[in-house]
Amino acid sequence: MGESSYGHGSDDAKSEIDSLLAGVGYSIRPSDLRQVAERLEKLDSAMIAAAAAGLPPEFLCSDAVHYNPSDLAAWIESMAMLTDFSPDHFRPTNPAPASWTGDICPPAPGPPHPVANPKPPEDAGISLVHLLMSCADSIHRGDRPSASTLIHEMQLLLPRVGTAFGIGKVAGYFIDALDRRLRSRPLPQEDDILYHYYYESSPYLKFAHFTANQAILEAFNGCDRVHVIDLSLMHGLQWPALIQALALRPGGPPLFRLTGIGPPEGREALCEVGRRLSELARSVGVPFTFRGVVAAHLDEVRLSLLRVESCETLAVNSVLQFHRLLADPGSPGPINSLLSWLRRLRPRIVTVVEQEADHNRPVFLDRFTEALFYYSTVFDSLETAGGGRPAEVYLHREICNIVCCEGEERLERHEPLASWRTRFSQAGLWPVHLGSDAFRQASMLLTLFSGEGYGVEEVDGCLALGWHGRAIISASAWHAGDDMDAPPSTGSILFNGFRESVAGESSGSNREIELGSQTEHSL
Amino acid sequence: MAGSNEVNVSESKTVVPLNTWVLISNFKVTYNLLRRPDGSFDRHLAEFFDRKVPANASPVNGVVSFDIVLDRLSHLLARVYRPAPDLADGELPQKALLSELQKPPSPNPFPVIIFFHGGSFAHSSSNSSIYDSLCRRFVTLCGGAVVISINYRRSPEFRYPCAYDDGWTALKWASSEPWLRSGKDAKLRVFLAGDSSGGNIAHHVAVRAVESGTHISGNILVNPLFGGNRRTESELKLDGKYFVVLKERDWYWKAFLPEGADRDHPACNPFGPNGVKLDGLPFPRSLLVVASLDPTQEWQLAYADGLKNAGHEVRLIYREKATIGFYLLPNTNHHHEVMEEIKDFVKSNLIVSTNAAD
Repeated sequence: MGESSYGHGSDDAKSEIDSLLAGVGYSIRPSDLRQVAERLEKLDSAMIAAAAAGLPPEFLCSDAVHYNPSDLAAWIESMAMLTDFSPDHFRPTNPAPASWTGDICPPAPGPPHPVANPKPPEDAGISLVHLLMSCADSIHRGDRPSASTLIHEMQLLLPRVGTAFGIGKVAGYFIDALDRRLRSRPLPQEDDILYHYYYESSPYLKFAHFTANQAILEAFNGCDRVHVIDLSLMHGLQWPALIQALALRPGGPPLFRLTGIGPPEGREALCEVGRRLSELARSVGVPFTFRGVVAAHLDEVRLSLLRVESCETLAVNSVLQFHRLLADPGSPGPINSLLSWLRRLRPRIVTVVEQEADHNRPVFLDRFTEALFYYSTVFDSLETAGGGRPAEVYLHREICNIVCCEGEERLERHEPLASWRTRFSQAGLWPVHLGSDAFRQASMLLTLFSGEGYGVEEVDGCLALGWHGRAIISASAWHAGDDMDAPPSTGSILFNGFRESVAGESSGSNREIELGSQTEHSL
Repeated sequence: MAGSNEVNVSESKTVVPLNTWVLISNFKVTYNLLRRPDGSFDRHLAEFFDRKVPANASPVNGVVSFDIVLDRLSHLLARVYRPAPDLADGELPQKALLSELQKPPSPNPFPVIIFFHGGSFAHSSSNSSIYDSLCRRFVTLCGGAVVISINYRRSPEFRYPCAYDDGWTALKWASSEPWLRSGKDAKLRVFLAGDSSGGNIAHHVAVRAVESGTHISGNILVNPLFGGNRRTESELKLDGKYFVVLKERDWYWKAFLPEGADRDHPACNPFGPNGVKLDGLPFPRSLLVVASLDPTQEWQLAYADGLKNAGHEVRLIYREKATIGFYLLPNTNHHHEVMEEIKDFVKSNLIVSTNAAD
């Protein structure tokens, strides 16, 4: 077939992957090129044959789920298995609805007006950015008087820039954060209501919950006894959707246990959330048990309290929690012991959502700059989605933690997905790729939001939600890599009526609360 | 090779390097999964497949990029590429601030290239990896150009004339940015460039520009997308042989043109029966690159003729044995020689004599 006339513009077979294709987003070894080419040709022929037989080519596999398009060899292999490349092998299906997801980018310092108005004072915006950077630099160098003067200047300049949108909006919060750091003022208070506003007014948390639930649902496929450990239950906003999805599962719902972890001061809230989730589960017919576990720090949670059973399929869910266990780069931090106990639990899946940001840089100025750009983008996105002030005020806490706190007090140590990938693989966790169905559903979720600037991207099996091209939050899934097939044991399981008990602990750091659903279920 | 199952013996494998073949074929098959016979498009899956790359304000090979909103109301975005800002001695390269990046890259005249990516009006974005790579190359190739890649609205969700409107918005934006002007006369030295549908957009934006008195230094069209109702000989001869299938071309035109229009609509066939006369307008000089294995080449050649007949200069580069997409990877003479042509074209049209004698 004219093999000798294939040109080789790539590196020779000794190198890892073809560097030219890598430069455009594809990962393939030179030694695989030939086979991939043959398969592509076969797939193309099959599509043409399908068309000739009267079926449009895309019906060949329109309900297929695709994974990791960068890995060409793996993708074409999955297509080979799916289609058999035989002209007789067609499966017509319903076409999915199409919808536009826009692309994205961070805001310019001075927003241009579309109407023929004189341009807003862009210079003031740019000056403000300069002042912010200078002030951060002064603080970084320990020059408090300069920093103080600069803060004053910025406060004077701020009204000229306008705090309605763009750089002015986010600058105000950063000026306040710098001021708090300089004058050791206390940080803003936590507020449940603000969390709710943030949840409602932007797609970030919803995307997080939604994507994690998708992955958990898939991991629970065919399992009769399932257990989710939520590393931070908060208001339990993620779980109603999963409960309902399990209720509607073909073949009926499994036995669903949820263990929610929360801080000691939130014990009653934890009970209340568990109570409400139990009510919901009962109303939709899902056999459900809730257990609450309080712990001041995640790495202190004792495995025995989680009561993981070998006959159940386990999912561990972490939404914006892991970064709180990091320390300064180079120092070990509690994250390692957490990952180690996670691994010992042998979960079928670990769902991880984290901010896609580099806010754990040791040098204050770097951290400040990163945060300024990151939150500019986030605030820009909130404004378009009609988020408004409460959501911003919620995020202000994060900003202050990044700007003002050091050492153990600094909890918002966001690191990019690439860093997490390395950390997880060192801890023995391997990626579970999120596929095109999760992508599609996340994309469709976004169309519910008014801001067209949101977009979902797939990178190496993980999904990232961003605004104007800048990724803001990422969702990924992992597994421990061994022992995935423990069969569920059968036996009769009785659920008592509603009961609440507190198992005391002399050290005082861990308590458990158990709530059962009132459904009786036996196998 | 294992026993043949080929319905269509593709000759394309003998004329392109293997990795290029894999790249373009992969586009072809994945795109097959996206177009539906009813004219709708699986946008979610399209975005899932598209390999994207973020902007990078830290220099990579001397080029930095940043994303910018050109128009907040319509969310029109663009990615700007430019040479990395000069460093003071001893300074380490670092992520530059937006304010630093929106300064002229040079005290001397520099070209501003407004680039429209290809994708048959339906595919790709300004942050698609293939186009990010290409635009970065243009910056260095043209001696430190500013390249602005426009994320125009795509079909079938947005039909003609949305993409052209977005191009026009982009041009107006560039005209209003002081940092994009250069030379003693503080002029915007703008080139409109594009491949495939991007080339088509570049033409139509240029028309609008000259009709309203905006000066364009030059047009660079690489395998631009044009067509017509009539089936040309090349279309019939080369159909399906080198990655391009006529039926697919038809689908994309149908998705872009207004409902009920045919391919003699002036957007598709600018010098056809419904074309607009360009005689007497200060239409920019054009560099037109045509691949001999592109089935639609006769429309591109007709375009060149149309420009010449209207009294406008065209430098036509006809590449023998080139297929579509040769410019995506730097692994052929086609790529390297065409890049040189683009470089020369931009250089020679950067400074234009004030004499209107041409």
